[in-house]
Amino acid sequence: MTNEVRDSLKYTKTHEWVKLAGTKAKIGITDHAQHELTDIVFVELPTVGKEIKKGEELCVVESVKSVSEVYAPVSGKITAVNSKLDDSPETINSSPYDDGWLVEIEIKDKAEVNTLLDAAAYKKV
Amino acid sequence: MVLRSPLYEAQVKLGATFTEFAGFEMPIQYSSIRDEHFVVRKKVGLFDVTHMSNVWITGPDAAKLISLTTVEDASRVETGKSQYTEILRENGTIIDDTIFMHLGEKYMMIPNAGMNQIVTKWLTDQAKKHHLKAKAQDVSRDYVILAIQGPKSKDTLQKLTDMNLDAVKFFGCQNVKVAGVECILSHTGYTGELGYELQITPTTKAAAVFDAIMTTGKEFGIQPIGLGARDTLRLEKAFMLAGNEFEGGRTPLEATLGWTIFWDHEFIGKEALLKQKEQGTFQRMTCLECVEKGIPRHKCEIQKDGTAVGIVTSGTLSPCLNVGIAMGYVAPEKREVGSILDIIVRDKPIQAKVIKPPFVPKEWALKQ
Repeated sequence: MTNEVRDSLKYTKTHEWVKLAGTKAKIGITDHAQHELTDIVFVELPTVGKEIKKGEELCVVESVKSVSEVYAPVSGKITAVNSKLDDSPETINSSPYDDGWLVEIEIKDKAEVNTLLDAAAYKKV
Repeated sequence: MVLRSPLYEAQVKLGATFTEFAGFEMPIQYSSIRDEHFVVRKKVGLFDVTHMSNVWITGPDAAKLISLTTVEDASRVETGKSQYTEILRENGTIIDDTIFMHLGEKYMMIPNAGMNQIVTKWLTDQAKKHHLKAKAQDVSRDYVILAIQGPKSKDTLQKLTDMNLDAVKFFGCQNVKVAGVECILSHTGYTGELGYELQITPTTKAAAVFDAIMTTGKEFGIQPIGLGARDTLRLEKAFMLAGNEFEGGRTPLEATLGWTIFWDHEFIGKEALLKQKEQGTFQRMTCLECVEKGIPRHKCEIQKDGTAVGIVTSGTLSPCLNVGIAMGYVAPEKREVGSILDIIVRDKPIQAKVIKPPFVPKEWALKQ
């Protein structure tokens, strides 16, 4: 994998990243994922306040050619969504780890965090 | 078995990512679908479409066989002309849409990818059944097909041939040397832009032509284009993709291809079409442009006031318009231009307006 993997983040096998800050988790898709999708043209974000379980569909990211589901890496309540993506979904391509974040979740079960991959493990996926 | 184009190695070198389409491993994109789309609309792009089929139709009754098996009367298609048409079953549904080129003594037909054996067998069987002295021969693997498309396609190609391209009319075809290699050139394409298609045999000579076009086109901004942009380009022009638009058995009348039917001759499927025409109640191909955010996709339901009135056969985000666009079949009384219908995307209705095709007008780049 030649794409950027940040040491400070946690990951899933399905190419989501998680940035932990206290009880909150910011979630996005990895550089590898955006590169594979190319040309992200539409993002369907969930509503703030929605409860979601780990592994459930969190949101949908569409490129010209494909529709991809993003799965919740942890369970919890959605506390914020990156509504800037409504008008500029291509931000995910240009800044997958910063401006292109998708959703913030209030983590329900801290133990689930331990199931996430660290950077070294994700690089092997 | 997955087939590869003889140009596969060249495409790997150009950074292509590949997809399987109709049994072929073909480039889906090189840089990005969006970038490649605009290269063709504004400059010039080179496609390898070797996955399409090539069938020679020969013999004294060749024209008769084509007339019998398509909605076209081949006797009125002059030498040096390419003709778009459809091959029908007895029940009027489309087996395949195709272009045939009248090259003097013989015809070359270009069925869709993966249709070579089906079409060849159909033509052979019909020739036998109707005692016609005509032969259909599948030569798909003997040819590489290149498509050079975009406003600068003519300027690029002209530098590689002695033949004056001004003399080749739209839907004209003839033998011509490109970069010193004998090709069949047809002034046709699937992008709605100025463009040409080249049939090259033997396939070992194709890489030289491909490279020559890429090198010569540099000054015009040429790029290699994958199947991803081929799909968005044709969809903006509302051109049919057989595997999508004819899926499940559709007639030319349903597909709004009535203009291609030459009624004044006998052909397989004619009776069924006449019956359908009289009834008039069938769903028809309809173009929908979203007025809300969202991207319609293949098989999304089309509704009016919560009731199903049709189905999407192709959908995408139009790179030129930056809105969702869809082609699909809609009940005849619900498809008036300007009507608002709902396309159901992931259980949610997205409003879309019925438009008169194409979605993107001719020479779009000049109007920007």
